[in-house]
Amino acid sequence: MHHALHIKNGIVIDPKNGVKAEKMDIFVKDGKIVEESEIKGEDVKVIDASNKLVVAGGVDMHAHIAGSKINTGRTMRPEEMRVVRNIANKFRAAVGRVLLTSPAIGYEYAKMGYTSSFEAAQPPIGALHTHEELDAIPMIDKAALPVFGNWHFTFKYVEAKDIEKLKTFIAWALERTKGFGVKVVNPGGVEAWMYGGNVTSLDDQVPGFNVTPREIITSLIKATEELKLNHSVHLHCNRLGVPGNYETTVETIKLAKGFSNDARQVLHVTHVQFNAYAGDSWRNAASGAEEIAKTVNSMDNVTIDMGQPIFGHATAMTGDAPFQFTLHRLTGSRWSNKDSEVEGGAGIVPIVYLPKNPVHALQWAIGLELGLLVDSDKVVLTTDYPNGGPFTEYPYVMAMLMSRKMREGELANVSPYVQKATNLPAIDTEKTLEEVIHMTRSLPARVLGLPQKGHLGIGADADIAIYNLNPLEVDTSNDFEKVYKAFKTAEYTIKSGRILVKNGELVDEYWGTTYWVDATGKVDLEAIKPDLEDYFKYYSVELQNYGVEERWLRRPERIVV
Amino acid sequence: MIIIKPKTEFVVTVEAELTPELAEKDLEEIKKFKVYYGKDVVELGELFEITKEGDDRKLVLEGDFSRVKWIGCRMTGGEIIVRGSVGANCGAYMAGGRIIIEGDADDWLGAEMKDGEIIVKGNAANLVGCAYYGDATGMSGGKIIIEGNAGNYIGEKMAGGEIEIKGNAGDFIGTEMKGGTIIIHGSCGFVGGDMKGGEIKIGGEFELLPTFVRKDDAWVGDVNVKGEGVIRRIVG
Repeated sequence: MHHALHIKNGIVIDPKNGVKAEKMDIFVKDGKIVEESEIKGEDVKVIDASNKLVVAGGVDMHAHIAGSKINTGRTMRPEEMRVVRNIANKFRAAVGRVLLTSPAIGYEYAKMGYTSSFEAAQPPIGALHTHEELDAIPMIDKAALPVFGNWHFTFKYVEAKDIEKLKTFIAWALERTKGFGVKVVNPGGVEAWMYGGNVTSLDDQVPGFNVTPREIITSLIKATEELKLNHSVHLHCNRLGVPGNYETTVETIKLAKGFSNDARQVLHVTHVQFNAYAGDSWRNAASGAEEIAKTVNSMDNVTIDMGQPIFGHATAMTGDAPFQFTLHRLTGSRWSNKDSEVEGGAGIVPIVYLPKNPVHALQWAIGLELGLLVDSDKVVLTTDYPNGGPFTEYPYVMAMLMSRKMREGELANVSPYVQKATNLPAIDTEKTLEEVIHMTRSLPARVLGLPQKGHLGIGADADIAIYNLNPLEVDTSNDFEKVYKAFKTAEYTIKSGRILVKNGELVDEYWGTTYWVDATGKVDLEAIKPDLEDYFKYYSVELQNYGVEERWLRRPERIVV
Repeated sequence: MIIIKPKTEFVVTVEAELTPELAEKDLEEIKKFKVYYGKDVVELGELFEITKEGDDRKLVLEGDFSRVKWIGCRMTGGEIIVRGSVGANCGAYMAGGRIIIEGDADDWLGAEMKDGEIIVKGNAANLVGCAYYGDATGMSGGKIIIEGNAGNYIGEKMAGGEIEIKGNAGDFIGTEMKGGTIIIHGSCGFVGGDMKGGEIKIGGEFELLPTFVRKDDAWVGDVNVKGEGVIRRIVG
């Protein structure tokens, strides 16, 4: 194996370092990007990237790739497992249509030039399962975000207005679950679901506790910022999937006012498409994307991701258990409910997005509106895999954002309802290649707080994708098919300096790092010990058996804050 | 017509989507047809002796094919004669033509078939004319005749066509059935759970669920799903 790579004559786009389609060489040694002088005298492999696009490996900051939800999805959807992607040989057996097996997830990301993906909702009590599954995903770096928004400890400390204990609890929980950051799903709503209900506004009282979603969100932001975690609060808003919910979303985004962080946002609002509906029923639902975009653009401490639906098969799976039940009642499709004790819940429902279905077409249009109307520096490209559809269709979303012509073609095939319910047909914005590269690489890396990811500067991880596309020649407005095809399969995917994919074919297998954040040094764990001991009398596991030890993980990397 | 004979006893199962169209190709091409032997992709000629007689769309399978799966899968016309027993998924997704099995058939016979005819001279195992797990609709057309007995799960989620069993059958006949007809001349176990439509006729004994309502000479249900399926005895 070569220790060093020389990627020659490629056309580099590296938004973080201000490189806009420049012909330059990239040098790699020991898994990092280095100066040319560093590889002198090494056994260097030269890759000719003439007339090809060279960018950092893609970073997926929000996908459901491991844990009890996706596994329940796989169990309840055997029909998803009939697409054979790889027969066991040099590489592992890989199957799946949209819901992929663990090896297939790693392989498909790699083929597309993506090198990192974050599991966006880890039930804390299911942490071991989540990490076992993450350890079964080859090729990429990964991490998991445990959910905090309905955990009784969170309620208890928010109720007592005890930020110090809340911080201590977060640090304890991240260490125990080997988690990366604070995910919040429908704060208070999932607790209300334990009694068959939901919350309907930021000011509803959570049953059994004297707290509201507003207090939960602001307290968690305050605690996360005081702990200076890499990633901000990662929020799945209340009222997801309900017409009229965009007002709640706008109100929620404004909760970030008054908080600041020099390095990144203080609030990331996820899969906003599902929270951007105007109207008061599905009969008159319309897009609320413009109001949300206006709010996000007016603030410098909030980012979002799209949650773009892709027409075809998908599986809705969220920690938002009450929403999943609503969806099941709406579509009549199979439903599974998950309970994670006093921590929250989840649900799973299969779904097919049909272009001629007015609601599905509306969702599709809203996702794109958000991608187009929000500043490229504030919106990350996601499909909320597998809720909106496969991550393998990111190239479709990239091409759509860059070409009005492509959008017009697609608009002609979808329900005409979008013409009156959204502004998509009138939007003439065409994102540049550089903006789209930012939305899929440097921006998600910044949002997650990973300075070594998403760019090609000296010292960065050598996660590199080379695509058969010449940015100096391609007309992204008109050559959308070429753009789509190019991003769909990478010419080369390089992970930590190793060539994993060549001409769209897997050539090597690699086991990536699992990142976790350790903030225990900033708190006194003794302060919450009596509370933990008290609660764990009623947990199904003993306190000393709860959690995941670092030595159990395949390739853990502890990030100390 | 081509005649195919196994060269050996198979250690692991073979997955061979053999259809009558294969007989129209020339012998060399037929021998190169790709099949799975366990996890390995091999050529048909490596596992089977093949002789060709004319170009008509007909396959004659001589010998024991009980470990060969997916025979006649997605076939649209022509004829397959199995002079022995056949493995699982025979005639799955079939849309036309005829399969005659002189021995027994394994599970998933005619699963999700749309049209055509399957005749089994021996017995059939479970899941005849069913929907594959997770799919919404099983057999939707065509005819399956079983001269002997059949196992459990017959015509699950069936929407059309006919399954006729001359002998007995097991439990769960016509579960979630939406249309079509199942005829069992012998006896069987539980019938019609969550049945929404279609008809089941039975000659011998059977177990009726309490969710069916007597109407004239038949039982209608399953009332749990507001179904209008009909179960009746074969008279005479």
